[in-house]
Amino acid sequence: MGAARQAVHADVGGETDVSVAESTTAERSSARRVLPIVEGVVLVAALIAPLVLQDYLTVFATRVVILALFALSFDLVWGYAGIMSFGQALFFGSAGYGVALLARDLDITNIFLVLPAGTLIGLTFALLLGGFLLLGRHPSSVIFVSLGTLTGSYAADRLARGWYYLGGQNGIPSIAPMTLGGYEFSEGPGFYYLVLGILVVVYLLCRFLVRSQFGLALAGLRENEQRIAFFGYKAQHLKAIIFAIGGAIAGLAGSLYAFHEGFVWPNMVGVVVSTQVVLYVLFGGSGTLIGAVIGTVIVEGVSFWLSDNYRDIWPIILGVLLLLVILFRPLGLISFVLGERERVGSFGTKIKGKKNAAP
Amino acid sequence: MANAFVAAFEILSFGAIIVLIVLGLGIIASMMGIFNFAQGEFVLLGAYVTYLAYAKGLPIWAGMVAAPFVVGALGFVLEALIIRRFYAAPIVAMLGTYALGLIIRESVRGLIGGFYLTVPEPIGGSIDLGTMHISAWRFTIIVITILVMAGCYLLLSRTSFGLRMRATLENPSLARASGISTPLMYGATFAFGSALAGLAGALIVPVFSLYADLGIRFLIQGFVAVMVGGVGSFIGPVAGAGVIGTLSAALPWVMAPVVADVLVFVLAIAFIKFRPQGLIAGRGV
Repeated sequence: MGAARQAVHADVGGETDVSVAESTTAERSSARRVLPIVEGVVLVAALIAPLVLQDYLTVFATRVVILALFALSFDLVWGYAGIMSFGQALFFGSAGYGVALLARDLDITNIFLVLPAGTLIGLTFALLLGGFLLLGRHPSSVIFVSLGTLTGSYAADRLARGWYYLGGQNGIPSIAPMTLGGYEFSEGPGFYYLVLGILVVVYLLCRFLVRSQFGLALAGLRENEQRIAFFGYKAQHLKAIIFAIGGAIAGLAGSLYAFHEGFVWPNMVGVVVSTQVVLYVLFGGSGTLIGAVIGTVIVEGVSFWLSDNYRDIWPIILGVLLLLVILFRPLGLISFVLGERERVGSFGTKIKGKKNAAP
Repeated sequence: MANAFVAAFEILSFGAIIVLIVLGLGIIASMMGIFNFAQGEFVLLGAYVTYLAYAKGLPIWAGMVAAPFVVGALGFVLEALIIRRFYAAPIVAMLGTYALGLIIRESVRGLIGGFYLTVPEPIGGSIDLGTMHISAWRFTIIVITILVMAGCYLLLSRTSFGLRMRATLENPSLARASGISTPLMYGATFAFGSALAGLAGALIVPVFSLYADLGIRFLIQGFVAVMVGGVGSFIGPVAGAGVIGTLSAALPWVMAPVVADVLVFVLAIAFIKFRPQGLIAGRGV
């Protein structure tokens, strides 16, 4: 992470120091192009996927897109703010359970009601858990936050398994499909493009967020929390805010997942899904939004592809690959094509025409 | 009266099992600052070694004696190859050990399939105290836990090995300057912690039977116990394990098991939040 910190300095310096910016213009413009290309390729591939894939693969692709949305929420929290949330599935699953209950008990399946409801559930739980774990008179240790979120997720899993109202071990089966007026979203290209649209919108929002001044403060938080606190930022508040945003996105993903699969079950809030999302982001590359998406596609895709013949040894391969990535490519697969400088990127609005005004 | 006694025994024996499992976890967390996510899988390996010995027709005792040595040796090798790279970054250590645990767990799952394999108790039957009967093996576990606990305490506080271990924990550079090989000490500490997990797995396998997710069940409880007890000392995690084990065995007797299950975790997290240093603060033994 030391290199990343230096890159932040170099880049922030470059924004304000005219001579540095000019002397490296050629180098930077050539180095700046990779990220948009990667994003564009992924978007185009995602757009044409249902046209070339068979129907059952489109259903699978829809699931992957929803999980990518979920991975995005974890990437915001870990990759940008440096909060290790081992319990991201808590927000994902509780929103799923929430919308499942809405559909089962109140017959509410309107898309404009259930998706905001799911997002709100995720946000509320994240505010509660994040507020409890992160805020307070003494700053919490990294270990405490990661184990606290893990424990929260595990406890929710146990609760869902034992609570008869939530369906116990079996969860809530056969949720009615999501509706828009008279139209029912069933599995297939329609649902696919809906979730893809949501993913793109959320992605752009996140991209704006992490490239804003707020994102700069977050990056500083990740690299050196104490220094950010000395600058006068309320580090704990920043953390709680980003944690809540991450929870809201996870809630949105969870409600989509519940309607897409048609059922929710206790694993969805539990440790298994929580660690799975960590795998996605670590593989793809934390700290880049597109890395989370790519990681999800690769892990899910390869696991789908191998699961026919090598179902038993796939988790072992996954573990070995994960270990190799952690040991030798801590920034994930995306770091093969993406330079350090571009990964960190620039922040805030560019100062245009004011160069001479700066002292 | 008899019921209360049986309940007390159940609570005590479950508390002892949790203490046994947390011992290794606590030593690694306190002495090395690493929360070892693979600890549950070391427990699983200990259980598996015992099962293998039983399946090969050897006496179960032999498997139980072999388990800590096998798992400890594996821990030593893993420390030298992989864990060593993680000391600077505790979060990365969590992820790395999680990956290790995944590999071990899925390998064992591949070897035993999705079955629940039973291993008979080496000391069967029950101890009769008048009208009350208590399981002889669970009683043996309690005794062994107390012996192991005392042994660890003496090892850490009374021997030169323990002294060097604590020196390495407290001030690595000064320890190195005093001629202590700190990498070797870290390796030995990790191997020791793994060996304790292996022993725990070997002892509990007759009670819980062998299945691939055996370790996960105890891992989070173990972490919570270490945090409640306080990281940094030997006695802290043990105390935490006693509290968590007793609570999670005792609460289901007075309320619905589901509520009790969740309540233990909520209470523990709230406790750690307001007392981050844990039950027993400070370093040392």
